[in-house]
Amino acid sequence: MRISPRAKNDVIIFDIEGEIKRSDITDVTLHQLVKDQLESGKRKILLNFEQVEFIDSFGVGEILASYISTHNLGGKLKIVKISKKLYLIFQVTMLTKVLDIFDDEESALKSFF
Amino acid sequence: MAKDRLHNLLSRVVDIKPGEEVIAVFFFLYFFLITAPYYIIKSLRNANYLEHQGVNRLPLAYFLTALLMGFVVNLHSKLQVKIPRRTLIVSSLIFFFLNIGLFWWLFQLDWKWVPVVFWVWANIFMIVLVTQFWILVNDTFNPREAKRLIGFIGSGAQLGAILGGMMAGSLAKTKASDFLLLIAAGMLSISIFIVLSIFAKQRKAEPEAEREAADRKKKSEKRAKAGFRDGWETVKQSPYLKLLAGIVMVTLVVSTLIDFQFNSIVFNVRGGKNLTSFFGYFNAGTMAFAFLLQLLLTSNIIRRYGIRLTLLFYPLILLLGSAGIGMVAFASIIPAILIKASDKSLAYSLNQSVRELLYIPISVEQKYKAKVFIDMFLNRFAKGVGAVILWLLLAILPKSSEIGITALGIRYISLVVAFIILGWILLNLKVGRGYTDTVKEKLKPAWERGDRLVADQVDVDYTKLVFDTLESKDRSSVLYALHLFDLIRQDKMTPELKKIISHKSDEVRMTSLGTLFDQGETGLGPEIDDNLSDEVLQKEIQEIMSLDSYQEVMKSYIGKAIDKSGAEGKIARMEAAKAIGLMNPDAPVVEKLEDLLADESPEVSHYALESAAALKRRESVPALVQKLSKPVLCEDAMDALAKYGGKIVGTLADYLGDSGENLEIRRGVSSVLARIGNQDAADFLSWELTEAEGALAMDIIDGLDKIRTENAAVHFPEEAVKSKIYGEIVSYCQNFVGSSTEKREEKKQGINQDWEKRQTHILESIFKLLGLIYPHEDIAKAYQNLKTGTKDSVAYAIELLDNILEREMRDTVFPLVEELSLEERMARCRDLLTNLAGGKRSK
Repeated sequence: MRISPRAKNDVIIFDIEGEIKRSDITDVTLHQLVKDQLESGKRKILLNFEQVEFIDSFGVGEILASYISTHNLGGKLKIVKISKKLYLIFQVTMLTKVLDIFDDEESALKSFF
Repeated sequence: MAKDRLHNLLSRVVDIKPGEEVIAVFFFLYFFLITAPYYIIKSLRNANYLEHQGVNRLPLAYFLTALLMGFVVNLHSKLQVKIPRRTLIVSSLIFFFLNIGLFWWLFQLDWKWVPVVFWVWANIFMIVLVTQFWILVNDTFNPREAKRLIGFIGSGAQLGAILGGMMAGSLAKTKASDFLLLIAAGMLSISIFIVLSIFAKQRKAEPEAEREAADRKKKSEKRAKAGFRDGWETVKQSPYLKLLAGIVMVTLVVSTLIDFQFNSIVFNVRGGKNLTSFFGYFNAGTMAFAFLLQLLLTSNIIRRYGIRLTLLFYPLILLLGSAGIGMVAFASIIPAILIKASDKSLAYSLNQSVRELLYIPISVEQKYKAKVFIDMFLNRFAKGVGAVILWLLLAILPKSSEIGITALGIRYISLVVAFIILGWILLNLKVGRGYTDTVKEKLKPAWERGDRLVADQVDVDYTKLVFDTLESKDRSSVLYALHLFDLIRQDKMTPELKKIISHKSDEVRMTSLGTLFDQGETGLGPEIDDNLSDEVLQKEIQEIMSLDSYQEVMKSYIGKAIDKSGAEGKIARMEAAKAIGLMNPDAPVVEKLEDLLADESPEVSHYALESAAALKRRESVPALVQKLSKPVLCEDAMDALAKYGGKIVGTLADYLGDSGENLEIRRGVSSVLARIGNQDAADFLSWELTEAEGALAMDIIDGLDKIRTENAAVHFPEEAVKSKIYGEIVSYCQNFVGSSTEKREEKKQGINQDWEKRQTHILESIFKLLGLIYPHEDIAKAYQNLKTGTKDSVAYAIELLDNILEREMRDTVFPLVEELSLEERMARCRDLLTNLAGGKRSK
């Protein structure tokens, strides 16, 4: 899994590539990367799932922990370009109730303002 | 430069912030320039009426004033929603200015009815202009600004009264008396320019977005209903406004009764000699006292004691005075002078200021309707009620042929006054609480704790199980089957989920996600045999797992799997770890769980942690705690430990309190205790609160905040929490004072972000701690608005804190959050360090 951050209009976008799985974990977790951005005062986080093939329960934990940390500081964390299969699982598990999910980056960015 | 000089001058008498000087002076002048003409007009009104109509026809003037006031209120209410505020106020000033000229001309004609009209007009003049003045004050300042500036602004009225009265008194005896009205008109004309300047300054200071919002609001206000009846309805529907109206009524009834007692006693003690001179000096003295009180003490008293306590000063002082009169009656004039002087000076200074502050948090629409009804109509009506009560009392009390009432009668009136004042105090206590509630309503919570939001909306365990099930599909058919059985066992195999997991392909080949749930035939045949009932399957598997032979065989198999290396071994251990969680906690195979918990592979450990959570064996706790130090497994370990619940709180507390233990483990334990969230967990976390420092302290504070958010029944040790708050405040002040000017300059440029982060964390911790011992939601709202709010919501947040924190706590927290200049904050932080760091309150 590779995560590269970039900034656009005060929003930090994390482009995630690969699988967010316990077995593929690198030195720094997604949650840690989000926390670093929050520490530096950023409050608008967008996770780009275009290149994400699958996630396991660890991945779900990472996304939810990132969401909670962002929310506790009054920030917003959203997801964009999630695969149809993942979206379906998110729906069945009610994750779509708490996570804002968008089809394209432009509308996701707009929703922050 | 000139502004600096003005600031220096004003800051000697008022707590004024840079940028507020001009607007404060404008309001002072505005109040002065409407009050001074009124006191000239009032002198002429009394003199002309008594001269042409005589004292016996005074009731006619009172009656006509009361009658016309209802009409004026109705007209004003309709006008104020139809025309902009600026136009209304300026038009009113021009109208009254032209009226003065008209009366000056009419007085030359010496018609007998002119003084009657002039009397009624003068009362309308004062009530309309003063009400409009306070409406504009309400529009302009938030509660924090008003509390600081109201003393200074209000003193404009006392100065106007003194100067207006003196001018009337001194010029009346000269040839210039004919021009007194023109002088009043001249002063009033200047106020028009002052009002225009206030509006111009408001417009300039208003950001574009706020201006647009205000314009939209004004448009919607225009559509609102208006009129006397609407004002009455608005007051009737709001318990808070009803209290305000009740207080105005009671205040004026008491004032009327006191006025009667005072006049009777003065007349009895002094006789009819030099009464004009006595009243003249008395009035001048009380107004001068009111001026000094307003200018020098009002703001300080309100800020020091808060609105709720300040509201009690006025009735309590009158209660004491009334008791004094009741005791001495005609024996001494001193109690009567004291009570009347207190009444008059406090009514125009402290009481009026506090009353105006009570209006500030009300919505704009309600405020205008209620204010006009209460201040214009009810004010006059209450005096009438006071007169009726007095008339009834006089009818039943013992009378004297010389002065109309006996000493016993005076005492009885004092008793009645005392009873009414007790009711008044009760109303004040209620309105004080109502004020705090109204301020709370002005603040919207910006967010709630994310973990609570997630817990309310998502079944996290189920979600994780679904993802693990799908992930296991490609790894091993055994692991996949174990997951399916787990879902069935937990009764979580929904039809929707069945469709997803029975999908043969990794890709969903549909254009619309919604149709997946709707379609009956997907062409994707289910892999689960629907003919096999879930209950039967579950029963059969559990029977197999409990067989001794199965246990024996599996024990041997898992032993081998643990020793097996490579990818195949890992899969075997994952399967074993998952399977153990589905067995009975007493099953012999379960012993192998500790080995699997110690496995190097995080995937094996994950399943072992899940199984440990399901079995809840005490023997597994040490291994679970050790996993708290592993970033990849920390979350799973916390989940597992939290599922043990209250029975392991003591064990966890040992880890938390052990300063030699790994910091990450101690931090993880504090999170687990917060998730368990019972009273014992809160007690142990609070216990460690005073000792913990740095990241651990922050975690403990966050944990306590989580418990407080989710369980209102849990109590926290107040002394320990306060001690920690003071300790955090000391850290904040030390950082602030210790950081050199250079560092703060760096901070401004964004270089020294660590300094800012540290201060932000400390402030966040302080508010989380405050939320443990004060109303949690209110503290959270205040903090969120302080962090992200507009200037007004920050002001309301501080106002809310002002009303819910005890004085000592308020004085300690406010230097950190109030809007202060760098120098002021530095000085306040130094003071706090002197008071707190001495060890008096902090640990």
